[in-house]
Formats: sequence, structure tokens, C-alpha cells
Amino acid sequence: MSQLASDIDFFLGAGGSRCSLPLIERYSLEIRSLRLPEMNDPSSVRKLGIGLLYQEELRPFIESERARFDFLEVVPDILWTDQGSHANPRYIEATHRAHFLREFSTEVPIVLHSIGLSIGSAHHFDREHISQIADWYEWLKFPWHSDHLAFISAEHGANELNVGVTLPLPYDQETIDLLAPRIAEIRSRIPVPFLLENNVYFFEYPHQDFDEATFLNRLCETSGCRLLLDLHNLYTNSRNNDIDSYALLEKLNLENVIEIHIAGGMEDDGFYQDAHSDTSPPAVWTLLEWVLPHCPNLGGIVFELLGSWYIDVGADRLAAQLSQMREMWMRYCAAPQPELVL
Amino acid sequence: MTQRSFQATIARLVIDPEFRDRVRADGAAALDSDLTSLELERVIAVVCNKGLDYTRTLHKSFRITKIYTMLPLTRALLGPARLAKEIGSFWKAELPVSHYFIEEAIAFCNFLQKRLRSGLRIKYLEEIVAYERANLELRRPRTNGVSAEPQFVKFDHDPVTLFTKLLSGKPPRAVPALSCRMVGSLGQDGEVQWDILNK
Repeated sequence: MSQLASDIDFFLGAGGSRCSLPLIERYSLEIRSLRLPEMNDPSSVRKLGIGLLYQEELRPFIESERARFDFLEVVPDILWTDQGSHANPRYIEATHRAHFLREFSTEVPIVLHSIGLSIGSAHHFDREHISQIADWYEWLKFPWHSDHLAFISAEHGANELNVGVTLPLPYDQETIDLLAPRIAEIRSRIPVPFLLENNVYFFEYPHQDFDEATFLNRLCETSGCRLLLDLHNLYTNSRNNDIDSYALLEKLNLENVIEIHIAGGMEDDGFYQDAHSDTSPPAVWTLLEWVLPHCPNLGGIVFELLGSWYIDVGADRLAAQLSQMREMWMRYCAAPQPELVL
Repeated sequence: MTQRSFQATIARLVIDPEFRDRVRADGAAALDSDLTSLELERVIAVVCNKGLDYTRTLHKSFRITKIYTMLPLTRALLGPARLAKEIGSFWKAELPVSHYFIEEAIAFCNFLQKRLRSGLRIKYLEEIVAYERANLELRRPRTNGVSAEPQFVKFDHDPVTLFTKLLSGKPPRAVPALSCRMVGSLGQDGEVQWDILNK
């Protein structure tokens, strides 16, 4: 691909480039005639299309069914080992997996979805984690990256513990005050949009300053972060906490949504669990169909399946899931064009 | 507001059932005094919410998976009841500190070896834990260029018979005595190779 075409591809993404390349030929477009998007401006986000969460067990599917997805989402924390802040070096790459990613990233865009930051932890902001993500940006050039709106680590006396579960943050102004400068620092160090994922939770705090949608809107306004809208999390919360998903979505500023997650789960001990153990239930598809026309800045829809469930789900059902996602993407989101000055 | 204390309290409610039960029984009297009245109210609400117990279930599932997947022979040897008892004791002694599986599994091996030195008597456990710990040590992540040191494990019983019985789910009774050492090394392909010495 020529430099011009690859630059165009950078702005339009894999899905968009299929439509845009004939445009280039017709108008002999020069790169300087593109109005360059500002970093972190959601309207400039690449329209990648359909994504699949990388899991090692899915690698045969990923390699053989390449046409079924447009990009991969990777949890970088499984491609390195974090030995803790006391260790030097702190991060050690899983050589074989990281090598695969390096090779694959020459063909397919990759976005990072980290689990290790614990951005809501009041006792500590992990700048070394940000540096590690920034280092990976240098070679991976992901179009956006994300983490979870939660806290996972907390103090325990003089020690720090890792609960292994994303614990909810109160939807308070105080939480926004904690997060906003951290998000600003992340955005200043990594020049692509930073997204936070709406959390799944099994208990709520009383007397919060805001409802969830208002909190997310204010957080985005204040900090400049964008949203990874996990519809399966939303569905899970609606099942367990008697939340009206559609009321929340109507109140949420969907212009902030850059990425959507869908997944499947299971009933367990009286709760519905966000287990990433199956294809998406019908209610999640209905949510997706409702929300897609209202997300003008959406860059991609990702299906999450834990590798340990791949045998149960099977390649055929996984392929059907991705096909259904593509059909919706084509119906509501495909062929967006950047603003061109001709 | 005291976010740090509040988060520490919520996290502790998830990982420490005795603390959770004290808060359920005694309310604010069981909590740190630096929490605000709103935070106290929230903690009391959370501790009465069955969603907290389910969050603990998820926390336990994640933590126990590390041991189940990384230590299959130790798991088979101890059996479900004894394993649950030892893991319960381990969790009281060691905080969860990392997402990663190998560190947690090695820490559990260290815990069992300490228990063995303190008088715990379970036939074959010393050999099996030493073997699985060495296996993990070989698989521990390393920076480029740093090779794994070979691992040696002493056996008093025939390791092949012992492993075969454990992997088939049979109780390893009457395993023939055999004094030998196994040596494990990491191949170029990243796979661990074990050989028996002095057989």
C-alpha cells in the first residue's frame, strides 16, 4: 500500500478504506487536503468495524477466520507479567504471545484494553503502568486504548491487596475529582483517545451524587475521556440491580462512545454473571440495535469470549456472532467519511 | 470523605469473611473511625447486600482458579476437602496481591512446604509440591537472555507411577519406593522437560 493510501487508511480504518480508496483515485487526493483530526477528538476516531478479544485459545480461529473481524482487542496485561512496583524490570513480556501480536499487528489494527491500572484506587495512581502502555503505543500505534472504571487494588494496613474483581466507585463528584487529573495525565502521555468501561457491579452505594449516566457524562465532560460502553455489563446490572438499561442509555451522552462490548454470561447462585462464557443473549442484541444509530463516533464493536469457553461455544457459533455484528455494523455504522476539502 | 479508608474497607469486606461478619454483627463499632457518616452508612448498606457475598464468590473463584490450574497434582493428591481446608488457611495467611497465576501458585507451594516442616503429614505431598513448585519456577517469566536454572527434585517413591495415578484420578496408594532425583529444564521452545536421574 502506498504511503498516501496507508495514511488515508489511518484516518478511515479498515472498513472505511474499502470505500475510500476509489475516492482517492477519482480525485487524486493529496494528503495535505485532508483536514487533519485533532488528537483525542472523538469525531476523528478510526472506524475500525468488528473486533474480537484476543485470547490464546482463540488463536486458531483468529488465524483461520481473519476475514470475520476488522481488528483485535488485546488485554495487554496477559502479554506481560507485572512483577510489582518493587521489581526491576517490573514488566516482562510473554515472548511467544507478544511475538504473535507484533506479527499480527502488521495486518490488523490492535486496540488495548487493560485491566491492570485500577484507575479508581484512591491510595495510588500507577504511573509505571501508564509508562508501559505508552511504551507499547510507540510500536503498536493503537487508535485508542481503554481500562475499567473501578478499583481493583486497595490498601490493607501497610500492604496493598488486589481483589481480582472490579469494585464499583461511588458516582460522586469526589470520584470525578480523583479521576479527572489522572485521565488528563494519561491523555497527555498517550496521544489517542482513552476510554473507560462502565463497570459491572453486584451491589450499589446509597446516596450517590449522580445516577450512572449523569456520572459518566460529567466524567467525560470534565476529563476528556471517552466511553467503552459494555452492553453486557449494562444488561448484567439490569438483571441484578433492577436497573432500566434503556432509561440509562437515553440519558447517556452517546457521542462519547468510541467502542462497544458485547458478550454472554450465565446464571449463577441467584445472580446473572458477566462470565464471557457464551454468545450474546437476545436482550443484548436488542440493546445493540437500539444504541448503534445514536453513537456517531463509534469506532468498533468487540465481542468478548474467555478462551476457556471457546470449546463450548465452538467456531461456528463464534463466526455467526461476528457475522451478526457485521450485519448491524454495516446497517448503522459503515462507510463514514471524514470531512474532505476537495 | 476518606476515599482510601472507604476503599480499603470495601475491599476487606470482599476478601475477609470474618471481618464482614463482625461488621454485620457490630455495625459501625467494627469499622475504622475515620470513615465519614456517609461512608459508614454505605458500608453498612453494602455489608447487608447479598451482592457483596456474590462479589466474594467471584473473588474466591478467581483466586482458587490459580491454584486449580497451576497445581493439578497437588490438587489431586489433597482431594477437594483437604485442599479447601489448606487454601482457607493459606488465604488467612497471605493477601491476594497480584492478577498473575504463577506467583499465587508458588506462594501456595511455599505455604504447604512450611506446613510440612511444621508437622503436616500427607504421604507423597512433599515430593509432589516440590515437583510442581520447581515446574512453576522453570515457567516463571524471565527477561530476554536470562535462562532458567535447572531444577532438581528428590523423590522417595517412583515418580512415574505416582504421577500416573494422580493424573488418572486414582488415590496414589502403595507407590513403590524409589530413591531418585528428577531434573527439570526449560527447552528452547519454552517447554519444560523432566528427566529421572539415578533410577
